[in-house]
Amino acid sequence: MDSKTSGGRIEQRALLRDEQAPLGATVVVRGGNDTQVKLRRHAERTARAWSLDGRPLLGISVFAVLDMPLEKLLRQRFANFRNIYLPTVTRRARYGFDLLPTGQRPHFTVWLRRASDEELDRLLIALGDVQPNPEYAVSRHLT
Amino acid sequence: MYRVDITADLNDEDHTGYIWTFLDEARDPAQIRPAAIVIAGDEETAAVCQVVDLVPAGDGTIVHLKLLPGLVEDYRALVERSKAS
Repeated sequence: MDSKTSGGRIEQRALLRDEQAPLGATVVVRGGNDTQVKLRRHAERTARAWSLDGRPLLGISVFAVLDMPLEKLLRQRFANFRNIYLPTVTRRARYGFDLLPTGQRPHFTVWLRRASDEELDRLLIALGDVQPNPEYAVSRHLT
Repeated sequence: MYRVDITADLNDEDHTGYIWTFLDEARDPAQIRPAAIVIAGDEETAAVCQVVDLVPAGDGTIVHLKLLPGLVEDYRALVERSKAS
């Protein structure tokens, strides 16, 4: 399958997972301590690499709590993050953001339309309060 | 504060299941080659990763990174122990 567009970006439409959208109460996880500047940089990186229906895809990554408990997901994937965001799917939708089932389950991309100051500020509100990651540094098993 | 080898959003994954970023976000792109062990992330959040491969995409080259267990601080302690023995 040729998944590249004319701009060399990786077209995501054919790569989207065929699955139902997560229920509204589902929690999504994003690690870090985001700012408008950081979110724009991440969204633009995604748009540089990916397209959707031939257009650069502005977006940021999140993981949904779907197949394992939150604690296990945090331990397996987010142990390097001191802080996390834990909004629900409903909260994101309330602020006008769609989730695209990109990558491997349970990864999703929060789809931005312009990454304007207004949209990024709205995204920061949609993420909710940043909070300490209870699993930070828990999975440290170096021998 | 971390001084990373390559800037990345450690939340990012693609269909390979690996973290990805662009090669031109490396401090020294020559260091970013398959199997190399690098520090990826940003000044606030960083992780030890292994370079999986490099793939052309967009106007650059995507680097896939495998997240290794433990914190950067754990590896630093490991190195210090090895020096003392």
